[in-house]
Amino acid sequence: MMKQFKNLGLMLLVALMAMPVVQAADDELIVYSGRSDKFVKPVIKAFTQESGIKVLLHSAKSTALLNKLKVEGERTQADLYLSNDAGNLQLGSDMGLFQPLPASVTDVIDPKLRAADGSWVGLSARARVLVANTGVDTHFVTSIFDLADPRLKDRIAVTHSGNGSFIAGVTVYMEAAGIEKTRNWLKGVKENAGGRTFDKHSKVVKAVASGKRSVGLVNHYYIYRHLDKKPDAPIKIIVPDQGEGEMGVAWNVAGIAMSKYSKRKAAAEKFVEYLVSKKGQQLFAEVNREYPARKGVAASAEIPPLEGIKVAPVAMSELGKQRNATIDLLEAVGMP
Amino acid sequence: MVIKQFSILSGVTGVVVLIAAIPLLFVLYSSFQLSSERWIGLWSTRLPDLLANTLWLGVVVAIGCLLLGVSSAWLIARRQFAGRTLALWLMVLPLAIPTYVFAYIYTSLLADDGWLGMAWVALFGEWLAIPDIYTGWGAAFILSLAGFSYVFLLARVSLMQASPSMEEAARMQGATPFEVFWRVQLPLLRPALAAALAVVVLHVLSDFGAVSMLQYQTFTLSIYTQMEGRMDHQAAAGLSLVLVMMSLTFLVLERFFRNRQRYFSSSRARRFQARKASGHELVLIWSCLGLIALFAFILPLIWVLHWSWQAWSEELIGTEFWDYTRNSLLLGVIAASATVIVALPVALYHTRIRSWLSSCYLHLSSVGFVLPGPVVALGAITFVLTQLPLLYGGMVVLLMALVVRFLPLAVQSQEAALQQLTPSIEQAGRVLGAGPLENLWRVTLPMVRGGMVTAWVLVFIDVLKELPATLILRPIGYDTLPVRIWIESSEEMLELAAPAALMLILATLPALWIMMRAERSRC
Repeated sequence: MMKQFKNLGLMLLVALMAMPVVQAADDELIVYSGRSDKFVKPVIKAFTQESGIKVLLHSAKSTALLNKLKVEGERTQADLYLSNDAGNLQLGSDMGLFQPLPASVTDVIDPKLRAADGSWVGLSARARVLVANTGVDTHFVTSIFDLADPRLKDRIAVTHSGNGSFIAGVTVYMEAAGIEKTRNWLKGVKENAGGRTFDKHSKVVKAVASGKRSVGLVNHYYIYRHLDKKPDAPIKIIVPDQGEGEMGVAWNVAGIAMSKYSKRKAAAEKFVEYLVSKKGQQLFAEVNREYPARKGVAASAEIPPLEGIKVAPVAMSELGKQRNATIDLLEAVGMP
Repeated sequence: MVIKQFSILSGVTGVVVLIAAIPLLFVLYSSFQLSSERWIGLWSTRLPDLLANTLWLGVVVAIGCLLLGVSSAWLIARRQFAGRTLALWLMVLPLAIPTYVFAYIYTSLLADDGWLGMAWVALFGEWLAIPDIYTGWGAAFILSLAGFSYVFLLARVSLMQASPSMEEAARMQGATPFEVFWRVQLPLLRPALAAALAVVVLHVLSDFGAVSMLQYQTFTLSIYTQMEGRMDHQAAAGLSLVLVMMSLTFLVLERFFRNRQRYFSSSRARRFQARKASGHELVLIWSCLGLIALFAFILPLIWVLHWSWQAWSEELIGTEFWDYTRNSLLLGVIAASATVIVALPVALYHTRIRSWLSSCYLHLSSVGFVLPGPVVALGAITFVLTQLPLLYGGMVVLLMALVVRFLPLAVQSQEAALQQLTPSIEQAGRVLGAGPLENLWRVTLPMVRGGMVTAWVLVFIDVLKELPATLILRPIGYDTLPVRIWIESSEEMLELAAPAALMLILATLPALWIMMRAERSRC
């Protein structure tokens, strides 16, 4: 017995001694990141090589990190907040968690893709597109509103309505096409999905590729991710709502903001400047085949060129302001 | 003297319980800010469905765990057969797999191009669709596989320790084997089963991993949605409060049924001799246990190995995996040790003194387990930032949250062990002149060593698997294995999530081994 206790004590002691120094070094930038590590690490690596500044990624869900920032207040260790959803960035901005970025950063980014007060900037954009099976006749599908077409009964694939990208998309439709049209559309989608939603975008693409479903609603890069693995998959992209008088494709950005209580402001600014530089933009967007937010930086050659695309005229900041209204609508319709 | 001893114990217990109740206070505080209209809104729109779904899931999983756990425990405790040790391990190993990994694996196995999906189509063709796992039944299936081991462990010990004389007496009176099981063994098993089911049901109520992956709306999932989707802490707190009341009601009921009967195991002079299994019994036993093991461990293991191999051959595994493993182990050891130590006074107090206060303490200490991880996390952050701001930034907040979360596990198993102590042994110690502390150290603790080790291992395993609180509270850059699994699987990188899951299973093995060894020496 005594021996066991001694062993336990010893183990504890060893554990405590081995406890890593968790306090980040003073010159190390801390980024709360809601974006996949895999898509952030390449640009961080390049930045560290160039500037000598180390960057520590603290990854978790975007929203959870925003909650954390809010609760921590001035005691936060975070210098920057990176999110895949403009809605979260705007919410953080509304809660007063950020400080304005320098003009050198905001000026190079399209005003539609950043906060009006410069509290956050978009870094890369993704389009909410349709994926269709090439073996099935889907000529009548040119708009996301066609997903509610009765001809597509039990033939569409969508993620469940708790998905952040789904919510952001619906916010755009609500703003661009009106709440009533969106409500009716949601009812139709619910009907056509046949009570079955998917938990991941990759599964939406998979269901379409296998022919189980004919059309799916996804972020554009999921299509190319699937094609990476299966180049012969019978799927094609439909950029929706491009016709005369139509609203244009829904857009969302990944972006970054600086914590109001950052203690390494100079380094944080440097990092953001690097992210919006031509090289940084290329690195940041390319790994996930998104559209760089800075004009004049080329997107990956595989995706439809930006020039020909009409984008729904909804300011990204609305994605934050209208999010609760969107969730209310989704709940009222009873979207699964 | 006795009075003084108890008042110290009571004081220490009070402090522990107070810390454990911090998240509850946070919930109470936040939900008081919820206006009455919004309460009514919650009641009329969300609560009925959530209540129904959550209760249904709890009941179905409890039944599932009982069936799987009791049958496997009975077979292993009462029959001697080839490969018994292996079978024992196979029944315990599912504990090493977190529910979110289980759910992840089964969603991919049951996909059209998954192994089970393809096998199903080959077997049944088109006329029987692949079972849909995105349902309540799917969630119940996953949670039963992930939880039945708790029932197995406690039922097995109880079956082995039961005195054979009662069963023999029943047989002599002419009872059939089934009657013996139903009327003698099962009633004797009741305290163990009640304790195990409490653990299982609390796990179900607080589970986030499986229900979120399968999109089955329970309280915990809905609290997440409120908190993360809408950033609405008040509604989340309101729902949490209902969840806590529900769990407390359940716990009080469980206690009520357990307290009505207490058994003291007396002499251990005569132990059960497990009968040797005959040839066809052996086949039956193994097909039953093998089927359970196949779904609960072997299939997931093969899947994890397959994808880990994929990652290995693509050279995706770097040295950082060792850091994640080390971080996980370190956190597990510290948190489990702290929890077991902190839980001892609570368990001791409740075993020694049966009063309104001690029951109150006991139930309050179990609140952390049912509150969803992020709620506990936010409660802990808020408390530390406002009361002890200097401690913020390191491990303290995370440790506090983990201790609060898993305290009831440690209290439960230590208390179960303490209850089996015949009071006369301790009285003998005192009569022979040992002081209260010496008595605790030299008589009580050695006798409940098994229970303490079990408590430590159970907490260690749960800490190792814990995701939501760790994700929010871990020190900057301190990634653990579950955190990595979550990060990789949220971007659907199977190859990268699998090695972390494999390391998690491997890291659990030594702890399970310690527990099984302690159990062997005890019995």
